[in-house]
Amino acid sequence: MLEIFEYEFMQRAFIAGLFIATLASISGTFIVLKRYSLMSETLAHSALVGVAVGLVAGYNPLWMAVLVALLSSWLIEYLRSSFALYSDAILSIILSGSLAIAVIIVSLGGEFNNSLFSYLFGSILSVSEEDVMTILIIGSIALSFLLLFSKELYFIAYDEEVAQTSGIKVKFLNFLLVSVVAIIIALSIRIVGSLLIGALMVIPTVAALQYSVGFKNTMLLALFFALFSVVFGMTLSFYLSIPSGATIVLSIISIFILSLIINRR
Amino acid sequence: MSVKFKVPIFDVKNLRFSVRGTDILSNISLEIFHGEYIAIIGPNGGGKTTLIRLLLGLEKQSSGDIRLFGKKLKNFKEWYKIGFVPQRASLVDINFPATVEDIVNMGRVAKRGLFSRFSKKDEQMVHDAMVKMDILNLKYKMVGTLSGGQRQRVMIARALASSPEILILDEPNTGVDTVSQQRFYKLLAKLNKEDNITIIFITHDIGVIADDIGRLFTINQKATICNDPKEALSCEDMSALYGIEAHLIHNHKHEH
Repeated sequence: MLEIFEYEFMQRAFIAGLFIATLASISGTFIVLKRYSLMSETLAHSALVGVAVGLVAGYNPLWMAVLVALLSSWLIEYLRSSFALYSDAILSIILSGSLAIAVIIVSLGGEFNNSLFSYLFGSILSVSEEDVMTILIIGSIALSFLLLFSKELYFIAYDEEVAQTSGIKVKFLNFLLVSVVAIIIALSIRIVGSLLIGALMVIPTVAALQYSVGFKNTMLLALFFALFSVVFGMTLSFYLSIPSGATIVLSIISIFILSLIINRR
Repeated sequence: MSVKFKVPIFDVKNLRFSVRGTDILSNISLEIFHGEYIAIIGPNGGGKTTLIRLLLGLEKQSSGDIRLFGKKLKNFKEWYKIGFVPQRASLVDINFPATVEDIVNMGRVAKRGLFSRFSKKDEQMVHDAMVKMDILNLKYKMVGTLSGGQRQRVMIARALASSPEILILDEPNTGVDTVSQQRFYKLLAKLNKEDNITIIFITHDIGVIADDIGRLFTINQKATICNDPKEALSCEDMSALYGIEAHLIHNHKHEH
């Protein structure tokens, strides 16, 4: 057996990393196709507000992150569907607003800077067994929702109005999608950090899109790229003693650049 | 040609739609019956697309009443009976990851219900729609690589896959060459005559289909309904519409 798998913490890190990569890349396919790429970054920062509240007020930061990310995703969806606002502008406003609020809360509470820092970059190597179980259970529920409604969500991403006139519950499914994404992000930031989760959601799909294949194959390619970069990035970080999150991000970006070059038109 | 049932597919009464106090559409009343082939013409900005969007519940009217298959619009649930091909359909994002089959499959998604899986029947309907639109050979092609005419047929196949009773097409000819257009008009006429599908068609090019259509609606804030398109020139307001005149005169020379 390889040296890397002899450590229990590495085994846990791999399980958590691979599962988060699966959740992120599959939900990411819908997010990217809906032109919602910035959504993942925004919700990751909203989740930080939850973490900050949790740390300062003494609640469980993970559940507070889920709560605030959910509220934020509903606010985004509400603003998008009810006002004449560009969705990228909404996302940008809520992203900076969230970060500002998180920083102020933490500064008022004092002495939590380091903990917040760990949520910004994650600490995949210090994942506890409980963390892994939480993610496996709630993540599985979230994933099954996505797969159950994948055809509807795909139709909505393709043309929201035609989907609506075909009788698809567009509003409900949009809320469902952003809720699932919010939960996945909030669960993941403890482990992979709010910076990495955005990359894991968006870049695998963007890389897969370069190959111009159908819906199912695009999703499978994105999944493969995400899984591969987690394995590759974590192995590299283990042997070179460099930060795992950042290494994973750079692995995905490398796959994206390679995909661009291979499929140049 | 038009088999008229008692309950119209669309029953519109005194429809008004205004934006910030300005009427886009006013005093629109019309009925559309099963089996009809209706063309809608009118100047740009005259409200043709807005009317369609109101009929489909994509916009909310300021006042007036819309009934679909006898039901008030907000109570209407059987949306699979309506196949809608919007204006931008032929200008689809070429990078969207979709094969022709992926797109036509969408036509079955709403009909199958939220929790049921894709069945043999769904597959069969998708197959039939592709055969009807003559795109079976393109099944695994990416839509982004198709020509305008092929893409147009894919969009209709998507709408047909839910076996609709009515097709609504909003100027689907953007970016399509003349030969494909001719072929397309023949297909529409065939769907209307042989499959008895009601068709509402927004177009600029009325002369070409004047022989196929049953009634002609002119929408320019108000609606003018012309029961015989060949007599369109004598219809009120009609001659005020640029372009239409020349097309119709031209077409009358070939009258049978």
